[in-house]
Amino acid sequence: MPFGPAGALALAGAMAVVLCGCGLGPGPAPSAVKLLVTREFGARTLRVVAAPRVVGQETVMRLLMRNASVQTRYSGGFVQSIDGVSGGREGGEPVDWFYYVNGVEAPKGASATTVNPGDHIWWDLHDWSESEDVPAVVGSFPEPFLNGVQGKRLPVLIECEAVGGYACRTIDARLRALDVPAAIAAPNATPASDTLRVLVGTWQTVSHDPVATALAQGPRGSGVYARFAPGGGSLALLGQDGATVRTLYGDSGLVAATRREEEAPVWVVTGTDQAGVDTAAASFDGESLQGHFAVAVGGGSQGPIPLPAGGGFAR
Amino acid sequence: MRSTLLFYRRLASPLHATRASVGVTWVAALALAALLLFHPLLLLALLAAVLGAGAAAGVGRRLARTMRTAAIVWVPIVAVNVLVSREGLTVFARLGDLGPFGQGDLTVEALVYGAVIALKVMLLILLTTLASLAVDPDETLRIVRRLSFRSALTASLATRLIPVLAADAQRMAEAQRTRPEGAPTGARGRVALLRAVVSGSLDRAVDVAATLEVRGFATARSAPRIRRPLSRHDIAFLASAAAVAGLAIVGRLGGAASFQAYPEVHASLGAATIALCAGLLAATLLPFADRRGIEP
Repeated sequence: MPFGPAGALALAGAMAVVLCGCGLGPGPAPSAVKLLVTREFGARTLRVVAAPRVVGQETVMRLLMRNASVQTRYSGGFVQSIDGVSGGREGGEPVDWFYYVNGVEAPKGASATTVNPGDHIWWDLHDWSESEDVPAVVGSFPEPFLNGVQGKRLPVLIECEAVGGYACRTIDARLRALDVPAAIAAPNATPASDTLRVLVGTWQTVSHDPVATALAQGPRGSGVYARFAPGGGSLALLGQDGATVRTLYGDSGLVAATRREEEAPVWVVTGTDQAGVDTAAASFDGESLQGHFAVAVGGGSQGPIPLPAGGGFAR
Repeated sequence: MRSTLLFYRRLASPLHATRASVGVTWVAALALAALLLFHPLLLLALLAAVLGAGAAAGVGRRLARTMRTAAIVWVPIVAVNVLVSREGLTVFARLGDLGPFGQGDLTVEALVYGAVIALKVMLLILLTTLASLAVDPDETLRIVRRLSFRSALTASLATRLIPVLAADAQRMAEAQRTRPEGAPTGARGRVALLRAVVSGSLDRAVDVAATLEVRGFATARSAPRIRRPLSRHDIAFLASAAAVAGLAIVGRLGGAASFQAYPEVHASLGAATIALCAGLLAATLLPFADRRGIEP
């Protein structure tokens, strides 16, 4: 045996240190990280940092503290306020800070989540009386397609109702332009749970998907503040309090994301009819999606979901 | 036989020469400063002042021994803060993912803040020790006696009986060792000794209660207040207490003692901070300069 017991123990210790990510000093710094701070489901932007200050291997909490004025509770485990904007109660409803990494609500606290290269960190202060959980959002586009989830790039599958249709081709072309290769399949394929899926089709078709069907339950079921009528003929757009603010009929579409437990997020590009799906697919780009939890289109207009108070659709 | 460490003994020092009420006030002022201030330099100045005061009062060695013993308190305080706090930004070591405790990133800020809290706790321990070594406990209890006679009497008897019980334990341990099979060792031996001391203390308590009863303590009233003029030591220590408390409050309210551990360490290090350190040291130690009539 080349090592004595002490040598073997030292070797095992060194391997354990390397495998657990331990070490002295701050560690390697992630590159190309972006930081966004908003409130009211992205309706008001408080801070956009395209190149935040990063020192070594950061956690989401440290990255925020380094780039904004932050007050925490529970020994730094919970964000109480950012730049003086505090969680608590507003108008009798509970509001708090939530964060999303590459468009996915993190399952752990900010001090337990490490920042990976290219991550888009989004902090938002919003009312959680209607839904405590918004598991995925579209506003970090082109994430999570580009850098994946928790530092792991995921395979992408576009499930199209009409494989050769405009909507399917548009989504595929937009992803390829970002250098994201995607497979295309008919609906109800059975991919692995770590596949990032984009469901493209009318609500009547998409609603049969076991994950997308949660959208029918509204924000409490899916975190998406919009709800299709049972037949898919109309789309109700909800406000931040969960009440219907506007209903779209015909040629209306929705781009949203949701997630089941710890699986990869599922994006939904859907509509009341094929024209609505095509309009939604045309909105599948950074300009239309960035900073929004979900986006609805209809009647030649588009707008963020949930609908901001007093806000509406823009032409 | 090792002597008991932390009991009051009248020594030739200005602190021992002050009346108990002044001694307690002086120690309380230093404790107030330790609680109010967070700046590490000021706390270190206070530590130096307390150790210097202990040395000047002739109890320096016992204070130093207490400081070493207090490591069982301050080492865990620093260690726990470093492991638990996630508010610092300057990482010096990474322990990887600690599951429910998050990323085990150890930061300089958590280390500094833990050390500051440990220093404050250390100061409070040292001040309590200094008070028990240099302020007459009977005189202190006499002050309390005017407020609650029975409580003061009970506390006075209890404090008097502690050295008696310690001596009892010492004698019993020696007696155990004279047995042919030797003294029982380990936890069994200690429990046997403790049982004997506790039962002996109950017997003593019954005797003391009977003695108090036949001497008519049940009908005793609060003692009248005896007015004594303030000695020059009393005045010096009162002035010192006022100065220490004043400097601590000024330091806390002004910017001279400003200190922030999170998210990054920021501490004022200007002339005002240095002056405050010097002021605390001088205010604490100056009363010990007057040794007229004390030195043998």
